[in-house]
Amino acid sequence: MNKYALFLGCTTPTQVPQYEISARWVCKYFGIELIDIKEFTCCGINQVNLSIEAGLLMAAMNLALAEAEKLDILTLCASCTGALAEAVEKLKDDTTRNRVNEKLREVRLEYKGEVKVRHISRVLYEDVGVEKIKSEVKRDLSSLRVAPHYGCHYLKPKSAFEGFEEPDNPRSLHQLISAIGAQPVNYEALNLCCGGKVFPVSEDLVHLLVQKKFDNLKDKKIDGIVLQCQTCYLMYSDHQNKVNEKYGKQYNFPIILYPQLLGLALGADPVKDLGLNLHTVSVDKVLEKIA
Amino acid sequence: MNEMEKIAISKQTVSLSDFDRNFKLEVMKHPDASGLNACFSCGTCTAGCPIHEVFPEFDPRKLAKMVKLGMRKQVLSSPYIWYCATCHNCEQHCPQNVKFFNVLNVLKNMAAKEGYAPSCWIKQTEQVAKTGIVFPTEEKWVKKREELLLPSLKLEGKNTKKIIELSGVNKIKPEVNSE
Repeated sequence: MNKYALFLGCTTPTQVPQYEISARWVCKYFGIELIDIKEFTCCGINQVNLSIEAGLLMAAMNLALAEAEKLDILTLCASCTGALAEAVEKLKDDTTRNRVNEKLREVRLEYKGEVKVRHISRVLYEDVGVEKIKSEVKRDLSSLRVAPHYGCHYLKPKSAFEGFEEPDNPRSLHQLISAIGAQPVNYEALNLCCGGKVFPVSEDLVHLLVQKKFDNLKDKKIDGIVLQCQTCYLMYSDHQNKVNEKYGKQYNFPIILYPQLLGLALGADPVKDLGLNLHTVSVDKVLEKIA
Repeated sequence: MNEMEKIAISKQTVSLSDFDRNFKLEVMKHPDASGLNACFSCGTCTAGCPIHEVFPEFDPRKLAKMVKLGMRKQVLSSPYIWYCATCHNCEQHCPQNVKFFNVLNVLKNMAAKEGYAPSCWIKQTEQVAKTGIVFPTEEKWVKKREELLLPSLKLEGKNTKKIIELSGVNKIKPEVNSE
């Protein structure tokens, strides 16, 4: 059985618990054991704005906590994935690691460089595999046309992901969606950023980016957007109404996290197991379509 | 001033004599920005930048050029350096492996030290020192997790406070006019 330290990050456990609920359900289904490390903190990605060193220290501290339990990390947030995986790369350098460890000793920690960081979708893709997922499908999702959205830090910086994906032409989420019988829709703005990381500085920039994405999807006859990061989720769901008001639009795109869609295919209870009742933009029309 | 000393950049006219020739070297001293010299201003970074697409004033190529010219004050005081969405496209597409995303982080760090940091990032760092995450502990979230039978969160900032102090980032003061 595979065992991982579950890295929740800041936003999922506080504002998007449906992601956590569905991720835990899906992992349990496939025998992936998740260990909660209560001392985990913010991954440090936003601290980089003010101090690259502070960001690296925060990431290293979390890596050291997982290493102390002899566990690799399973992430939910794309940005935590990118930040922690980038830190793993940086800390392969002895000089950098020694410098960082000198500071980590002050909080009684040390990072030796033995932790691997992977996002839940990548673990599903690589450890469980598309064929196994396909063989477990219990509910017919073939009527669903969904737009995949990967999340920038799930793919980049490329150097942090051992060639897992080609950032300009990613396929893994498309394949994970196809595996459960739903149809992943191709669209021009596939790699357009949600703007989540610039949100604290400018909400307007986020709205411009979200509007651009939705505009590109409006004629694609999709039933929803499927993504794998709670920040992208919040930008596309909680800002959907604001974008509608601001630009006089009537977008109504259900936003679904991949473990939720996977859970539906595996026969999970939409409310109890997947938290699909907790969405800002209702997903009822998706549920009705597959009923 | 000699006409040759005038360089028109966008709509502003600037004088070469106002430039800080050491600025580029100062930036490149940081290992994350050491590749800047290889930039030949092709603009691939700008072409693939999502923020540039919706807000053309944000222009990675222009910022790189300004750094190379030595426009220290104009770059560090520019509100635009904080507009990066951190998507890494500039770095992904750069034919010269400049890693402009990292260069921009170095610039933000320098700007922060000189008092130009937006208060949102400073508040977030203060928050992380308190709860370990970028949000305060809100009763409604704690309750919701209980209702949903999710494990309780520790939300404890003792270690993060120490880490933040060790990095020196706690000494950064917000921009005077920043809200």
